[in-house]
Amino acid sequence: MNTIRNYLDNMFLGLPQTDDVIRAKIELLAMMEDKYNELKSCGKTENEAIGIVISEFGNLDELADTLGIKEIMENRTDIPTVSYDDAMQYIENSKLTAPKTALGVLLCIISPVTLMLLLGLSEMNLITAKEEVLVAVSLAVLICFVAAGVSHFIRFSSKMEKYEYLQENVFELDYKTEQMVRSIQEQDERSYKSAVNISVIGYILSALPIIITPLMLEIEGLSVISVAVTLIIIAWATYNLINKSAVHESCNVLLQQGDYSIKIKSNKISKTISKVYWLVIVAIYLGYSFITNNWAMSWIIWAIAGVLYGAIKAITDGMS
Amino acid sequence: MISSDVIRGYNDTMILYLLLDEPSYGYEISKKIRELSNDKYVIKETTLYSAFKRMESNGYIAAFLGSETYGKQRTYYKITEEGKKHYREKCKEWEITKEVIEKFIVRENDHEYNQKLS
Repeated sequence: MNTIRNYLDNMFLGLPQTDDVIRAKIELLAMMEDKYNELKSCGKTENEAIGIVISEFGNLDELADTLGIKEIMENRTDIPTVSYDDAMQYIENSKLTAPKTALGVLLCIISPVTLMLLLGLSEMNLITAKEEVLVAVSLAVLICFVAAGVSHFIRFSSKMEKYEYLQENVFELDYKTEQMVRSIQEQDERSYKSAVNISVIGYILSALPIIITPLMLEIEGLSVISVAVTLIIIAWATYNLINKSAVHESCNVLLQQGDYSIKIKSNKISKTISKVYWLVIVAIYLGYSFITNNWAMSWIIWAIAGVLYGAIKAITDGMS
Repeated sequence: MISSDVIRGYNDTMILYLLLDEPSYGYEISKKIRELSNDKYVIKETTLYSAFKRMESNGYIAAFLGSETYGKQRTYYKITEEGKKHYREKCKEWEITKEVIEKFIVRENDHEYNQKLS
């Protein structure tokens, strides 16, 4: 039924919301729904029923006159259609670039790990080098990691650039393509869900080293090392998540579901707010951390910002 | 299956005919059209709805909300006096149309068919 509703939404996209237009949409949906239900009760499968309903729907041009939207229908810039090949190529490319993007993220997250390990070990007196030397060495490593990570992003994000319009603009899929994308997503569903589960467990467990080590052992320097372990777990969980959710996400993009729904795409306010919001958060994070030098605590801004973003999004979505 | 081009001028006639007995709603009408035509003609939803709207504004049919069944309130249509008059005219028009077109049709077992088409 959702497919039919989406189909009708697409058809009516960009039309003025006059009483006549709204009523026509309701009536057409009712007829399609009746037909769909009857076909289902006659033993047709979901896909067959949807196929028949959509193929017998007709053309909105027929209604242009009666709805007083003739001019709009004639001037309407046609919504672009994404072809079957393009859709499949997009999914394939997302799948290929995912591990690479994920690796970039992983490198960035673990970049401070050497710094922490070396400092921790030196505090435990297991390394007897000068602290300045250690910091210099590990900062060099940190920068190398970040540079490698970022160059990874740039290289592979430019490959995906040509598909950006799929995330930004409204488009149409023909029926066959949509069915194919749906079945790809369904097939991937199990691996996606288990990857999310595993990563979430990873995120939760990542807190353990920080919490437990000071309780069990009171060795100086160990707490810094435990943060390093936490970072490694977080990095791995994130890598896993990005890598395994690529197919699911790219199908969402193509089906215009979730974060990529037509409603959200046409909601310019919420898009602007989200852009501004995250820039402000980055500014706050950097400002606070550099001024107070409290890097150990300041990361908590990200956790709070994430939750707060959900709240802001709910409000802006509700307003539109 | 008949193409909708051929039948265009007579969608109204079919709908009015079905409304002569009792008021009805969108899907029921499209289903009856399909059944009565032995699956040879399926009216598209957009065609049906635009016919409703046109005939409503011409005063041939009137829309009203039916009582709720299974949580769904459907728009019903009933034929008006004006609509009945229009239907009678369309029936007459069809008789003439049929007569005229008939003059230009040959059938396979006709003498003419063998002469001109084979």
